[in-house]
Amino acid sequence: MSKQVIFYPGALEERDGKLVQVGHKCRDCGKTSYPAVELCPFCSSGHTEKVPLSTVGAVFSYSVTRVPVGPFKPPILGGYIDLPEGTRVFGQIRARVEDVKTGMKVKVETGVIWTEKDGTEVLGYYYVPLQAEEGGAKR
Amino acid sequence: MRDVYVLGIGQTIFGKHGDLTVNDLGAAAALAAVRDAEISPKAFQTAYCGTIFSPPTPVQSILFRLGVDRIPMVTVENACASGSSAVHLLYRDIALGACDVGIALGVESLSAYNRKVGKGLLAIEGDLQGRLALTMPSFFAKLCNRLMEKRGATIEDICYPSVKNHKAGMTNPYSQYKTEVTVADIMASPMIADPITVLQCCPQSDGAAAVILCSEAYYKKNNRKEHRPPVKVAASVISVSGAEDASFDPLEMEVMIKGARSAYETAGVDPAKDIDVVELHDAFSGEELAAYEMLGLCKRGEGVALARSGAVELGGRIPVNPSGGLLSMGHPLGASGVRVVIEVARQLWGEAGANQVKGARVGMAQMLGGVLTGLESPVVAGIQILKK
Repeated sequence: MSKQVIFYPGALEERDGKLVQVGHKCRDCGKTSYPAVELCPFCSSGHTEKVPLSTVGAVFSYSVTRVPVGPFKPPILGGYIDLPEGTRVFGQIRARVEDVKTGMKVKVETGVIWTEKDGTEVLGYYYVPLQAEEGGAKR
Repeated sequence: MRDVYVLGIGQTIFGKHGDLTVNDLGAAAALAAVRDAEISPKAFQTAYCGTIFSPPTPVQSILFRLGVDRIPMVTVENACASGSSAVHLLYRDIALGACDVGIALGVESLSAYNRKVGKGLLAIEGDLQGRLALTMPSFFAKLCNRLMEKRGATIEDICYPSVKNHKAGMTNPYSQYKTEVTVADIMASPMIADPITVLQCCPQSDGAAAVILCSEAYYKKNNRKEHRPPVKVAASVISVSGAEDASFDPLEMEVMIKGARSAYETAGVDPAKDIDVVELHDAFSGEELAAYEMLGLCKRGEGVALARSGAVELGGRIPVNPSGGLLSMGHPLGASGVRVVIEVARQLWGEAGANQVKGARVGMAQMLGGVLTGLESPVVAGIQILKK
């Protein structure tokens, strides 16, 4: 099996055999931040606990990059996703360009987001449109 | 706080100078400023240099070439506000009485940077969002999309600052581009991140700029340019954003709104009627369009209407980027924050030639930069207000 690494240290953790996005919820101000950092970035409290992020959110704003960026080939769909806990997360969106709209619901998935030249698989997260039967928009 | 005066300015032509090092560029700008101020470089009591990608210690490497040594010198990095930060620190030293005269430099060679790391869109190295391909153009593409969704901007509106600034750059002897563009040209150029095309982006540039600031006492004793009206730095602000949550709207960046408000209060000016000229960070055409309302040049939500009225053109109520801006001048990152300050000084002195705003008395220089995970982006704004 090829070597696997997570694209950004601490961005994903294994829970019940699955990789999930883990942030910090602050017990003092109630905000959830992502990725987890030393203290709460909103109030500097150290009373934070690790929590998995919501898996469904809404596209606040997105863009389509038409040139290659690092390991990614165009078109690169990327958006800010707003989660119910009030956290905004940036991620790529795996969908047809014409199917993405501001405000649409998306769900997170984790998996290989690129493969290094030496075969190392880089694991990360990305969003996909929520299907109508899951509460997403009808096509 | 003591008054701080502009004594001299200098810069290189912005553009491709692949055969020159950052030290060559910085020394040329510093020497031009010294010659403009007509003082000995030995008079400097402190020096700052703004840059992002230069090799370490550019300020000492540059100023040694002018015989400047044995004084406190610091190189500062603060994204696209690096040059603004160099000016700010020098301003503060003089205003607080820590010194009487000094130089603030800004320098960058993106040719050297590209040789080292390869070409491509800029993202912050090692940042989480950057690793997922959030680059400067893709961030500002989202801003453009919001302008269209929330402010009723059309593609023509988004392209307007680029058309206006390329036209202005035609007559600026320091600008990188000498080409006029139409909306059709802009939209026919390669798409980078919808709706941002190549001609809505500032070019990658090499260049340097320098400003010599001094106290009132030093100015009265040493100013040789008696034909120039005295120009003061009436306010200087470095504004930094806060942690980001889902309530953040990039059309209403606190970093810019509060930073500008703070600068206006310190300078005692009303942006709606007192500002005669603005030089701002138009790294992307849509960014300038979004900035009008955030800087208070018009009411909230009226930036598109302000642009359509022609008020921000040379000859209008409040010309923005009459130099050609980053879009036409070019954007050697660390140099631009100093360049906008000297551009405003030139305007207030009446030395801007074909790009002169008639009777300009108050001007604002603004920079904005840094797109980061976890913070409301861009994360830093530098704002200086100059007055005569």
